[in-house]
Amino acid sequence: MSKKNPSMKDISRIRIIQFFMIIGYALIVIASVTIVTRLAVRKTDEVLKNKVLSLTSSLGVQMKLNMDSYISRMENSATLAFGEKSSYTYDASDPNNDEYEAINTEKVITDKLFSLCIMENFVDYGIVYRNNRTVGKISNATGSLFGDHIFTELEKMITRPRTADGWFTGYNGDFKRIYYVKRVHENAVIVISFYSNELEQVFDNPETMADMTVRLVDHEHNILYSDDHDEIGKPVPKSIMKRIAGQTSASFMDDDYLISINKSGDWYVICSIPTKIILAEKNDMTRYIYMTGLGAAAAALLVGFYLSYLLTNPVKRMVKALGMKAQNDLLTGLLNKLTFEEYSANALNSSLDSENRALVIIDLDNFKGINDNYGHAMGDKVLSDTGEMIRSVFSDDDYLGRIGGDEFCVLVNQRKSDIKAFREHVAKQCDTVADNFKKLSENNGCKVSASIGAAFFPADGKNFEELYAACDKALYNSKEHGKDRYSFYDETHDKGGEGQ
Amino acid sequence: MKKRMASLTALALSVSMFVCSCGADNTEVLHEQVEQTEITLSWWGNDTRNEYTLEAVARFEKAHPEIKVKCSYSEWSGYEARNQIRMVSGTQTDVMQINVGWLSQFSADGGGYYDIEQLSEWVDLSNFSEEVLEYGRRNGVLNAIPIAMNAETVYINKTIYDRYGLDLPTKWEQLFEAAKVMHPDGIYPLSGANKSIWLYCIAYAEQQTGRQFFNENSDICFTEADLKLMIDFYNRLVKENVIPKVEDYQKMNLESGSYAGTVAWVSDAMGYFTNVIADGNEVIAVPYTVSDGIESGVGWYAKPATLYAVSKNTDHPKEAAMLLDFMLNSHEWAELQGVEKGIPISTSARDYLGTVGLLDGIQYEASLVMETNDHIAHMDPLIENADLYNGFIDACNLVLFDKSSSEEAAKELYELYAQTYTFADEDNS
Repeated sequence: MSKKNPSMKDISRIRIIQFFMIIGYALIVIASVTIVTRLAVRKTDEVLKNKVLSLTSSLGVQMKLNMDSYISRMENSATLAFGEKSSYTYDASDPNNDEYEAINTEKVITDKLFSLCIMENFVDYGIVYRNNRTVGKISNATGSLFGDHIFTELEKMITRPRTADGWFTGYNGDFKRIYYVKRVHENAVIVISFYSNELEQVFDNPETMADMTVRLVDHEHNILYSDDHDEIGKPVPKSIMKRIAGQTSASFMDDDYLISINKSGDWYVICSIPTKIILAEKNDMTRYIYMTGLGAAAAALLVGFYLSYLLTNPVKRMVKALGMKAQNDLLTGLLNKLTFEEYSANALNSSLDSENRALVIIDLDNFKGINDNYGHAMGDKVLSDTGEMIRSVFSDDDYLGRIGGDEFCVLVNQRKSDIKAFREHVAKQCDTVADNFKKLSENNGCKVSASIGAAFFPADGKNFEELYAACDKALYNSKEHGKDRYSFYDETHDKGGEGQ
Repeated sequence: MKKRMASLTALALSVSMFVCSCGADNTEVLHEQVEQTEITLSWWGNDTRNEYTLEAVARFEKAHPEIKVKCSYSEWSGYEARNQIRMVSGTQTDVMQINVGWLSQFSADGGGYYDIEQLSEWVDLSNFSEEVLEYGRRNGVLNAIPIAMNAETVYINKTIYDRYGLDLPTKWEQLFEAAKVMHPDGIYPLSGANKSIWLYCIAYAEQQTGRQFFNENSDICFTEADLKLMIDFYNRLVKENVIPKVEDYQKMNLESGSYAGTVAWVSDAMGYFTNVIADGNEVIAVPYTVSDGIESGVGWYAKPATLYAVSKNTDHPKEAAMLLDFMLNSHEWAELQGVEKGIPISTSARDYLGTVGLLDGIQYEASLVMETNDHIAHMDPLIENADLYNGFIDACNLVLFDKSSSEEAAKELYELYAQTYTFADEDNS
């Protein structure tokens, strides 16, 4: 049994529109929030990366300046040795030296050198002559490292012609000490060395950059010093090298590394730190932005849903009210003729033959007389009371309609499988209607009665038209037999067989 | 409806304002750096010592991240002068390795260094006997704690001696005999730096004269004749090619095989011979050289190898004491130090080394020569003073290069010493 009507269809349509409106709104909100969030994240990334790159670059430059300063201090210390005249005039390799004078001269030079380096953590601070004789402080380790070739090997380390000096480390794979060599004269060089660990003070990171690796590398990019002592003497890792190849002073950043390279003398200071470490805060910020965006989207959707509810609910109510007005008789509140016929026809068309239904027409007797004698107001009241009375007699499952000025119709849907019992049920309701008209007459002070005709589905008709025609005949039968009675359609006699 | 819309609008505005206020957060940001207490540490030593000390300091810093240790170190040459400058200028490091002689030089009344007993909350002194701690006391104040005992020791490259069919030398004359066969090949049977040869000549002279260089009052007991004896002996050692002149002494010649032996401290053994032994040579710490009829050890001296002291004006006594305890008693430090400074006096460090089997090697053997000798004497710290041995070498050179006779040189040396030191009456010497 379909009870759908136009207003319900309209409401369904409104619901569909509302659904798509919400989906559309949600998509727009999510898309907007996503775009805004992505833009915010990208911009934040860009600003943060630039700032971090700038700061790290500054730190790299500071490291380079520290190294420059340290190197300069060492070179100045070597140069100071020239303040003692005998240090650059004496030649220990001269075979004509008086041995006693030589011992005393070397003593003077040694005292001078010791006084110059007295507060420094130098491993070596002495002069080496072409005959491998040494004056000043030349450590056992340095002596062992170069052996009988100490002068020739040190002389080879002089790489800068103008100042006749040079820096080196890594001789025979020994990176423990860093050497500075400067020519004193043709047969002598002064050598200074210090432990590469000393560079820890030069490359001391601020606490916030504790994860940064600082490397000192030569022009072939071999590591001379590193925070990670295990990699000293090895080439710069390829992952670092490929990012700074060909650069002498630059900063670089990608998703993996932040690197800065700065030239210091013949060497390079390379600072590197994994991007994920330096930008750890950025990831937190990105997460924060995304979470904020998600929250904003959720809030916008909730507000959207609520606004949609506020918008569509009155429309639904209005459509429903309009639908009610279009379906019902305004005076009685029962279905109007068109709606009653549509509902009844639909119900009967979808009914099985095993189901029992009955169509009952209730036609007021002499209603024109009531209007004429008591006025239209009384007529309207009688009609209204009749509608109310019919509603009280029949159940909610039944269709109740006013199909004419003084004609009411009921499709009784109470499904009793036993036709006899059903007929008795309908007969009983017809009796009740007749009785109620008497009470209605007493209440209104005017005589009101009705002629009633009834026909049964499927015996008397299988659709609304057939059943209505049969019912109409039964009504005619009631009117013909004096009104104020009911009749059931009897097709064998073509007139009502039962009546009051 | 209007009310509802108004409420909704108000809610939306409130949320917007809240979000905007979050975006325009003007909260001040404060990042507190971890404040480290910086203390300073100084020592002298060779490569080996420098490397393990730096490593050990790194371990200490790792164990105590709130403390940063700044290191100052160099080889012995010149270190004494550096220490003196620091001590007299008040810029000494918080924790310092000191020589035993510096106690009398800088803390005559016990006030030159921190009283370590006041730091016993952080320094476990129970690892040291009272007798040992006495080496570090001045005027009853515990100024320093000795690390190990030390003595000049004769190290012989047995591989070279075997090559010439020579016994290991324990007598002076054996060295002169060895020089006769080794010198044609450019090899010295022995060698030594200036201070070592100075003490070596004192040992010879004390054995000959029966007198100690210093008496218990630190007065010089040697006479002018005794000084001449020392000068003559040095010149004989050089002229008969037992040793090179001290000015020519180069440790690398031990590795090249030009020196078949050397006189050096117990604490120098690893630094001098690690490579020599690694090259396949057998090096032996032989008994102290003596004359016939003299017990080995007579004329030789032992002293605390070095001591650790705390600056009297340190700003961080607690942290300095923590480092001091780590250096003396911790297993971490002992593991790296091994017997480089000799067998540790600290029972904690010594027991640990014994447990992990680190009490071995040439340095340990040299320590045993010292510890098992009954005749070696406690060294007067003054005997290491540079003016004593520099004056002696200068006097020797005068004779060696025929600038004066040994009598004249001894006379000059005697007068030089008399400017600074007191000579004991001959009756009391």
